[in-house]
Amino acid sequence: MADQDKSNGQKRWVGQRVPRKEEGRLLRGQGKFIDDIKLREMLYLAFVRSPYAHARVVNVNTSAAEALPGVAAVLTGREVESLTSPFIEIGPDQCQKIADYPMAGSKARFQGEPVAAVVAESPRLAEDAAELVQVDYDPLPAVTDAEQAEKNESILHENAGTNVVWRGVFEYGDVEKAFREAASVVEIDRLHFHRFSSTPLEPNVIIAQWDNKDGRLYYWCNNSFPSFAIQFLAPHLRIHIDQIRVQTFDIGGSFGIKITNYTQMAVCALASRKCGGRPVKWVETRTEHMLSSAHGNERTFLNTRVALDKNGVITAIDSRHIDDCGAYPRYEPLGCVIWSQVFPGVYRFRNAKIDFTQVVTNKCPVGPNRGYSRMQHLWFLERICDICAHELKIPADEMRLRNYIRPEEMPYTTPNGCVYDSGNYPKMLEVGKKLIGWDEWKRKQAEARKDGRLIGIGIGTTLDSGTNNFGQSQIINPYAPFSGNSQGANVKLDIYGEIVVAVGSCPQGQGHETTAAQIVADLLNVTPDLITVRTGFDTERNVHTGFSGTYASQFAVSGLSAVHGAAQKLKKEMLRLAAFTLNAKEDELELGIGAQGPEVRVRGTERSIPYGGLANIVNVNSAVMPEELHEITLNCRYIWRAPFKVPDKAKKYGNLTLTYASQLHIAVLEVDRDTYVPRILDYVAVDDCGTVINPPIVEGQVYGATAHGIGAALMEGCFYDEVGNMLTSTFSDYTPITSVNMPNVKFGDIQTPSPHSFNGAKGMGEGGAAPIHTLSAALQDALFDKGIIIDDSFNNGDRVYHLMQQAGKGKKPARVKPRAVPA
Amino acid sequence: MFPRAFHYHRAGSLKEAATMLSQLGPEAKLLAGGQSLIPLMKLRFAGPPHLVDLNFIPGAAYVKQDAGGLRVGALTCHADIEDSPAAAAIPILHDCAAGIADVQIRNRGTIGGSLAEADPSGDWAPVLLTLNADVRCLGPKGERTVPISKFVVDAYTSALGEDELIIEVLIQAPPKSSGGAYIAFKRSAPVYASASAAVRLAMEDGVCRDAAIVLGAVGLTPVRALEAEAALRNNQVTAKTMEAAAEAARAAADPQPDMRGSAEYKRQLVTALVKRGLEVALKRARGEKVELSHIYA
Ligand SMILES: Cc1cc2nc3c(=O)[nH]c(=O)nc-3n(C[C@H](O)[C@H](O)[C@H](O)COP(=O)(O)OP(=O)(O)OC[C@H]3O[C@@H](n4cnc5c(N)ncnc54)[C@H](O)[C@@H]3O)c2cc1C
Repeated sequence: MADQDKSNGQKRWVGQRVPRKEEGRLLRGQGKFIDDIKLREMLYLAFVRSPYAHARVVNVNTSAAEALPGVAAVLTGREVESLTSPFIEIGPDQCQKIADYPMAGSKARFQGEPVAAVVAESPRLAEDAAELVQVDYDPLPAVTDAEQAEKNESILHENAGTNVVWRGVFEYGDVEKAFREAASVVEIDRLHFHRFSSTPLEPNVIIAQWDNKDGRLYYWCNNSFPSFAIQFLAPHLRIHIDQIRVQTFDIGGSFGIKITNYTQMAVCALASRKCGGRPVKWVETRTEHMLSSAHGNERTFLNTRVALDKNGVITAIDSRHIDDCGAYPRYEPLGCVIWSQVFPGVYRFRNAKIDFTQVVTNKCPVGPNRGYSRMQHLWFLERICDICAHELKIPADEMRLRNYIRPEEMPYTTPNGCVYDSGNYPKMLEVGKKLIGWDEWKRKQAEARKDGRLIGIGIGTTLDSGTNNFGQSQIINPYAPFSGNSQGANVKLDIYGEIVVAVGSCPQGQGHETTAAQIVADLLNVTPDLITVRTGFDTERNVHTGFSGTYASQFAVSGLSAVHGAAQKLKKEMLRLAAFTLNAKEDELELGIGAQGPEVRVRGTERSIPYGGLANIVNVNSAVMPEELHEITLNCRYIWRAPFKVPDKAKKYGNLTLTYASQLHIAVLEVDRDTYVPRILDYVAVDDCGTVINPPIVEGQVYGATAHGIGAALMEGCFYDEVGNMLTSTFSDYTPITSVNMPNVKFGDIQTPSPHSFNGAKGMGEGGAAPIHTLSAALQDALFDKGIIIDDSFNNGDRVYHLMQQAGKGKKPARVKPRAVPA
Repeated sequence: MFPRAFHYHRAGSLKEAATMLSQLGPEAKLLAGGQSLIPLMKLRFAGPPHLVDLNFIPGAAYVKQDAGGLRVGALTCHADIEDSPAAAAIPILHDCAAGIADVQIRNRGTIGGSLAEADPSGDWAPVLLTLNADVRCLGPKGERTVPISKFVVDAYTSALGEDELIIEVLIQAPPKSSGGAYIAFKRSAPVYASASAAVRLAMEDGVCRDAAIVLGAVGLTPVRALEAEAALRNNQVTAKTMEAAAEAARAAADPQPDMRGSAEYKRQLVTALVKRGLEVALKRARGEKVELSHIYA
């Protein structure tokens, strides 16, 4: 399976199709999920939720619920307010005045917001009792639209005095000059990126125990960014951060959505404390998940102007963006800057002005959903490029080639100071076109047009920026105490020679056990199956930093760099100790698998010591160690730090992410003439995440991200009516994509190694929501001749039907204004 | 997702079930496949104090052919109808059974439960309406047979008395040289239709002697598109007459806007579905074997 590395005869595991170590366990139903854990004396929690999107909570009567036999306690929002401090707000100024508690006290701000929590001896009793809690509401006008919210007619957070969470202008280059000199200007009135979410198989599950024996707070949960969660929880609960222990195990998907379940973690903790320290479990139902966990950001792009030169090269963009973050900012307003990691997307323009606003609305709070904040912006840029190509009658592929950042310009510094490490977009386009059979489809498309069939071919080119510089938070709030990024790992050689890796990530299907083992196997020259990898978070393992978790496409860089660093440290120690025991020089030694298993030997001799022998000395036979070797522990912790600087806050300038994986998708679709459903006829996904560590894991992520994106583009949306009732709180309404709706996806890849990571790999997995851009473009191609502009990211048959009915009526949503080209 | 507490009663026979119902009062509910009732109970939209379980009644699930026609026991699950050789003689039954939700739901959900539930988007009622099926019901006072057209009264309301249950569905074999088809538009597999159309054509020398067109999910009950039928009856079935029928069906539909589609879109779907349904029914009337599956978004 593994290649022979010519230099030293070592097998190399990185890059091989190593089967996933976690597969056997997960496929046999032997994974360990939180709901599998049952503790003695455990109680169960159920929430009472607001049926209104916006209402004053006048009174909460808990007596009937408390009187029900088997009910241990009822906790109300008001009580929570009296026991805790509001959660930290990341944003500046008016954000700091928002009081965010995990349950509504005097006011509910979205449908499904918890108002009270009931704790009982069984989950059924808890639900029975929840029905008995009587809440009197005084409904208030709900705001469900971002542009409406901006008018501040009905304000969610009175203390803040406004619904605007954050506003800032990102301006680079000389925008007005570029418009003056433009050969043409394209204007697009309004584009809208819809709200959708992720639908992990496993919803949020939490067990909390506020143990009154040692005063500590124990969590067994599936939060996917626990180091962030405890930073929010400790001040909220008014305890030391070290009092909290968080453990995660297998997680059935998160896609970022589980980052913000710290709010429910808080309630479970308070409930446990109220019940004398008995453990409290909460298992979210699917409806609760859809209604009140977290959704992705919705964004509207207004009054966009695009300047182009005579060749159709985009020279400037000017636009106003309004982001809707739902009822509470929580992880926000980080999304107000995170998009700028990909400020120009894959394009070369140097002049741009984006006026960015974020508002609260009476909808479920958003959370960092796969492709977080960047996909909205990438979709916007892709729509621009695509609409301009059509308006200027430049073929889609040609338009991209003229505008792409060139491979020879890599590493490329964007107008806002981000450094694109590597990439070759024209090459990806070439690979994609070949895989799909571009020319053949063009021919078929032209033929089909003659029969009145509407076939479209679309390209989407996107970026998946990974390993954040948290210093970007200071662009949002100059006082934010965050910058850089880091990750911790520990590799030890245990007493009988076991190699054990621990890392501060909490994978949800990303195969961290396998890729970490591959890295260490290469360094210590053993096979991956000899390596045990402890993933899942545990504060007590002490391998986490304040950034540890699994989010934002970074493990291949941050996680594996930490693992690599720790394994290197261990290897050094092993060689030093072996040199002493074998009475040889370190450079005479080699690591490998001998007759008795892994050993360090003197090259070309029989003299060797097994790994277990080294561990024996350090752990239980230390009298044989000379004093100068006492610092050897064979238990090596390493903290990797990303080489970032604090960005220039005033100029909003600096490198915001370390690696930029890229995706290029091409779709061919046909609009069904009867049902108007856009049917995918052919689909290609080309991926470049630098050096690939494990090809099947990468392909799996690409397929998953592709399904997620196709679902979002054609089927899935979190929709609300005008009074804030969520219309898609069940799977029957939300209709997550299934295999029935999936086309066959042709996969292609290129590898442009990253100069920013130790092994050339780039973070990946979010996938930049490429299918949404691609399917919008393909639909645009099918319908442009009908006078239709694809101005929304969600396009099911119903919407396409309406677009076609309304075509040609009213003002055209996008227009070209040719300019006299200056001499 | 736990239902409220309830008393569980297991019926040993259909008759006992009817007796139990009358003894336990109007709030008692029968439990067949549980694919409508259990989700409602788990969401606590329903909380019956008593459940009478029909699942252990011997001999209540069957598909058989006899002189009287095709007899389908009330407890027969959708999957068994899908796989039944006897039902295969009437292809529209297969169209319907094989297209209900997903395999888990088809393995549990029953034809009796589906008719009793009278969901405006249920698949069986429109299909059985084109076949003039009869529903055999049993109550403490005895048995009665209700034509399907009289059985579905309103949204979620059937002609069943409080202590009555469905025991069997009776389907007369359609005459030779007739053909039927059922087709729905569904956004994904485990979801009710946005719109559906059940059609039946009886042909004679290339002329349509009789037609039945019933629309599902676009009204409080299945909608019989009489003008659409009239557009075909005593006419040749051509692209033009099919188009006219489909347009008439669009006008007959009375859909509500919801997440399954806007009202206008559902009307558009009706036209598309009626057209496709008619094309297949015509071929089947000519003796051709045509496989049909629903349209998924
Ligand atoms: C996710 C999902 C998707 C679905 N999609 C579809 C679809 O696309 N098309 C479709 O047609 N159906 C669909 N269904 C419903 C499914 O077909 C059910 O099987 C059916 O509606 C009810 O049948 P049941 O046997 O499960 O009845 P139950 O749920 O057990 O009972 C339903 C009601 O009928 C009563 N009842 C049951 N049996 C009898 C009887 N013999 N006599 C009198 N009353 C009786 C019960 O008391 C209850 O009120 C779906 C269900 C789910 C959960």
